[in-house]
Formats: sequence, C-alpha cells, structure tokens
Amino acid sequence: MNGLHASFSIAASSPLRHLSPWAAGIFIAAILCAGHLPLTHGQEVPATKERPVSPPITLHFVTWKADHPQAWDEAIQRFERAYPNVRIKREIAPHSSTAYHDLLTQKLKNRDVSLDLFFMDVIWPAEFAAAGWALPLDEYFPHGEREKFLPSTIASGVYRHHLYGVPSRIDSGMLYYRKDLLGKYGFRPPSTWNELVQQAEAVLKGEQIAQPFLRGYSGQFKQYEGLVCDMLEFVGGHNGSFLSEDGRRSNLTAPESLHAVQFVREQIIPRLATPAALTYQEPESLAVFVQGKAVFHRNWPYAWGLANDPRHSRIVGKVGVTTLPRFSGGTSTSALGGWLYGISAYSPHPDEAWDFIEFMTSPELQKHFAIHASLAPSRLALYADREVLRANPQYKDFLPVFQTARPRPRTPVYPIVSHVLQRYFSRVLAFPETNILEEAQEADRKIDRFLALVRDARE
Amino acid sequence: MTPSTRDRTTGWLMVFPALTFVAVFSLYPAMDSFLLSLYSELPGSERTFIGFGNYAELFRDPVAHQAFIVTLGFVLLSTFLELLLGTGIALVIHERFKGRGWTRAAVLVPWAIPTVVAAQMWRFLLNDQYGAVNAILFGDQVDAYVPWLADPWMAFGAIVLADVWKTSSFAGLLILAGLQVIPDETYDAARIDGATAWQRFRHITLPLLKPALLTALLFRTIDAFRVFDLVFVMTQGGPGDATQVIQFYGYKTLFTEGRVGYGTTISVTVFVALAILSLFYVRTVGSKLLQREPA
Repeated sequence: MNGLHASFSIAASSPLRHLSPWAAGIFIAAILCAGHLPLTHGQEVPATKERPVSPPITLHFVTWKADHPQAWDEAIQRFERAYPNVRIKREIAPHSSTAYHDLLTQKLKNRDVSLDLFFMDVIWPAEFAAAGWALPLDEYFPHGEREKFLPSTIASGVYRHHLYGVPSRIDSGMLYYRKDLLGKYGFRPPSTWNELVQQAEAVLKGEQIAQPFLRGYSGQFKQYEGLVCDMLEFVGGHNGSFLSEDGRRSNLTAPESLHAVQFVREQIIPRLATPAALTYQEPESLAVFVQGKAVFHRNWPYAWGLANDPRHSRIVGKVGVTTLPRFSGGTSTSALGGWLYGISAYSPHPDEAWDFIEFMTSPELQKHFAIHASLAPSRLALYADREVLRANPQYKDFLPVFQTARPRPRTPVYPIVSHVLQRYFSRVLAFPETNILEEAQEADRKIDRFLALVRDARE
Repeated sequence: MTPSTRDRTTGWLMVFPALTFVAVFSLYPAMDSFLLSLYSELPGSERTFIGFGNYAELFRDPVAHQAFIVTLGFVLLSTFLELLLGTGIALVIHERFKGRGWTRAAVLVPWAIPTVVAAQMWRFLLNDQYGAVNAILFGDQVDAYVPWLADPWMAFGAIVLADVWKTSSFAGLLILAGLQVIPDETYDAARIDGATAWQRFRHITLPLLKPALLTALLFRTIDAFRVFDLVFVMTQGGPGDATQVIQFYGYKTLFTEGRVGYGTTISVTVFVALAILSLFYVRTVGSKLLQREPA
C-alpha cells in the first residue's frame, strides 16, 4: 500500500465530516467572540510630571544598527550620566527604511506602551501624525530653537501646522564626480544635466581605449523608494513637482515633469548609466563608482567616507562633490532624506523622552556625531564649527547641496503615493516602448484618488 | 447500526483537541481576515464598513490583474519545469549505482537551503558586475556582461529559474516514492516481451507514476502560487512590476501602505483560490488515486 494513498483516505474520513453543522457554527462563533473582546492596554499609567528620584525610568528606543555603534553607545552613556534616573533600552530594528517602517508601525498599531522613542524617516511624519501615533512636539520645541536648524529638516517634521519630529541630521542627494577625469578634459563640474551628458560623453570617448568599461553616470533606478528620490531630483531640476502646489493633486502630466522623465529614459539610462542601473540601489551604484568605473555618481553624504577609504575605494582623493545639476531654466533640487526623533503617543514617559531628544539634538551631541559618526548636522551653526570642519572638510561643499534639499510629498498616504510613483517610473524606464504620457495619466489618477480619500487638503 | 450516546460522547472528546487546534489556528484567523477585508482603512482615516467594496476594487485594479497574470505565468512555467526535471531526477536516483545514497543527499541540498538564502545567492550570481553567471558565460569579455535582472522578461525568467533550481528535487522526491511502488516483475515481463527501454518507460513507468506525478503537481502548484520570498529578495517586484506576484503585492498594500482592508482582501482571494484549487485536486485527482491500486 502506498503511503500517499493512505494519507488521502485519512483526509476523506476526517473528523470534520462527522461534525454536525450547528455544533461547528457555535464553536467558531465562540472563538470569534473571544477574539473580539476589547483588549485592555496599559493606558491608565499616568505620566508623572515631577521626576521621581527612584526607581529609574526605562525608555524604550527603537533604533537601527548604527554604522558607528561606538559613537552611539557613548552618546547614550553621556545622556544617562546627565539624567541618572532615566535608562535607555535600545531595540534594534532593520536598517532598511521600509523594513523599519513595517516593524515600527506594527508596534504602533498595537498601541505598544513599551515603546517611547523612535526614528522617523523624513517621509513618515504625515502618516504618523494622521494616525495619531506620533506625539505633537509643539509645546516642547520652542520656535527660537527651531530656527537654528536647516529649514528643510524642520519642514519635514511638520504636518498641518504641528511638529512631530526633531531632525537628528540631514541627508540629501548630491553629485559626486571624478576630479581627475574632469580636470584632464578641462571641465568644471556641470551645472546642468545637458552639460553633464556632454562632459560624460567626452570623457568616455577620450578614455575609450584606456578604460573601456567606464560609465558616464551611476545612480539608483531599481524599483524601490530610492527611485522616487532620484526621479524627484530630475523632475525638480526641471521646475516640476510630484504634487501640485497645494498638495491636493498629482502633477505628473505637467510638461516639465514629462520632459524630465523622458530625458532620463533617453539620455541617462541607455547612454550613460547602462540598463544595469535598473537593478541598483545605493550599494551597487556606489560599488561601480568606487571601483573607478563611473565619471559621475549620485548618492547620499555617507558615500563620501567610503569613496575616500582606501579599503573600499580605488579613487581615494579623486572625488569631488557638488549640487545636483538642473535643467536650463530650472533650479537644482536634491531629495531630502534623514531621520527625525519622534515620541510615541502611547508612551507613558513623554517628558523624559523629550529630555532624550533635546539632549541628542543639542549642538554638543550633533558635533559628537559629526566628528565620530560622520552624520551631517541638522544645525546650521555647526557648519562653521572649526572642529567639525577639521574632521569633515567636505562639509563646506555639502552645505550648498543641503540648501537645495526638497522633501518628498508630505501626505499620510505617502507609502501608497510612493508605490504608484515607483511603478510609473520603473515601467517607463524598463519598458522603453511605453507611452510616458499615458503612464503618467494612470499614475495621476491613482494618486488623486487616494489624496481625495484622506482629504489631505493642506501640505 | 447507530452508535450509542456514550460512543458519541467519547468520539467528541477524542476529536476535541484537534478541533480546538484547527479552530484557533486556522478557522479563526481565516474568519477574522475575511471580516477585516470588509472594511476600508487608510492611515489617517476611520475604519469604515464597505461590504464587498474591496473585492469590487480588486477586480478593477490593473496592478492586481498584472500581478495575477505574473503569478499564473510563474505557477504554470515553474510547475511544468519542476515536474519535468523532478521526473528526471527521480529516474536517476531510483537506479542502483555506486554512491546512490550520496547522490540522493546531494540532490536534496537546494531544497534544504532556506529560500531567502537561495534567493540572495541567485541575486549575487546574476549580478552584472561580479556575478558568476556572467563570469562563466563571458569570462574576460566584461563588455558583454548582462544585467540579468534589469530586463523585465529576463528578471521573470530568473525568478522561475531560481524556483526550479530550488524545488525540482522536492518534486523528484515525491516522484521517487511513486517509482518505488512499481513492481519489478512488470518490467521483467515487458523485457521478455521485447519492449525497448523507451517503451517500458512510456507504457509502464509513466502510467503507473501518474498518482505520484499528480501529487507532486498538487504540492507544487499550491506552493508556487504563494511565492513571495524569491521576489522579495531578488527583484522587489521590479523592474516595472514585471516580477510582482500577487503575494508580494498583498504584502506591499498591507504592511507598507497600511491598507489593512485591501491587503487582506488580496490574501483572502488567494486563500479562496487555493482552497478551490485544492478541493478540485483532492476531489478529482484524490479519488482517482484511491481507485488506482497499482499492485
């Protein structure tokens, strides 16, 4: 007798066959009722205003595995020395923004009281505010203090006139270039995209024999969040935008925007970046550049350190950095990235949590992170600080880039908007026969529908 | 003959633990998902009851249609290739030869590797810069290197390839079980009658293998329909949604977009589709299996 036959005959005479329907019904109903009883959460814990001497309060901070763990350990030890009755318990979440988001929002959906502090990627405050997950910080964070930060970083934490996040640092897209190659052919760093294409082609032509595998440009064009950033920079550089001024409608069919997308499809991908860029996130595209196989490279500030690290890079000392090009008549635009500190609306200890945020974003600590972890400060004054500049001479080139930073659309349905944008851009780039206008119209329709659903009237 | 009340009570007591388990871990989540799929929920807006609104949207949603087509293509292609290769594998490891035990173990290695690890490996193998596939195919001709995952069709092919590589041996194992119950006397009789190797395969092995093939088909279809991790690791659904299978689309809507209602609608639809498919298999294929007594 075959074993498989036996297993089927067991299935045919399974006990469920002999269950009377009413009994099964009651059974299932009972289970469902039990599951739907309102769950009690530890909400009744009062937030004590006066600081008790003991026992110490433990704040739970969901963070990611840091690139420079020692700098973070030291910063947190300094906080715990300054506030002896508060302990910070770190919970390490995935480093990928999307994976971090999925984990964090699960905790917040469950109103997890054992969560006090978290990071928000700059694209989340609207969603977290609308869902009631992030505590408004207006009363904690005085206006005089906010003005000391780079304006775009503060703007990214604001939703409907309330502030939900304090910028831990700034991140934005920038153009890396090969100083040696541009110098050899007598070029200054390009200020427009057309110039970039001309320079890259001239360099490729001149280097054809010596470096046949040199590419003109290396960026991130895989279907993922980074694609939205890269495309924002092209569209913004042509004076286009993803959403209309008031944030109520999708604006992808505007001629400026269509032209920018067409430029990427016809000039950047086939001629300079090669279709391989359609599989690149940051690490893959950086690998091409640090191996000396690209003239221009778009990346975030962290790439500077790696491109100048002899263990990783063949182009140490040959790298320059500047603002991303614009189109003629447009303004240079870089996608704003970075992480904001936020407090959970369900935290029983918001005051202590604020102490932590205030401490970590203070000039001293931002200086510490700039020197020991290469995190570009969100406080403007630190770009004139001699110690910071001695450790990071490149910051004098970074600051003009940071001043062109522009946030991605701020709406509670940003994850949906981003998926629509990713599909649209990836389709028109990967399928060169598609009609850009038609694809843009489809994306517009879908984004408009969701913007209307959440009545996201104000940006 | 009717069982006494006492027998009935004992019967109930006996099935109670199993029943509880099924109810708590299968029925309740399924029912709860179904209820969730009747609501609309977006970040920043109230949860509202919309009946079958999500289902109506799913039937109109072009992205979902594309994902269904991609999934269907994946299921058909990968299942077909896996059964084909699986039969080959089974025939080989069924033969008696020196080192058969080792070969059998080696064949199962791809299946034993966690899918996420295997997917990551394939992503590296297919990399345009340092991938082994390019190195083997083109050697030093670096300018001929192909970015395999950049082309929509090749990316789809890569997902199928990775799945076939990984699960053919599992299909082979199921088919091997079928091979082992075919009595040797049948072959001896055929040999005496002068049947060639091909004739023996065509007229003895294949017909008698049918139940095992159908079982492998059932397992592989259902498994392939639920493909997620390969896509998640290798392509994230790209380029241009060319490899976005339905489960990955459901994951994105549910976990990243936070559209709980719509995301569960996708899950429930997949669940119902698979339930119907399984029922169909068990009814038709399963009853055939029961009738067919090879011995």
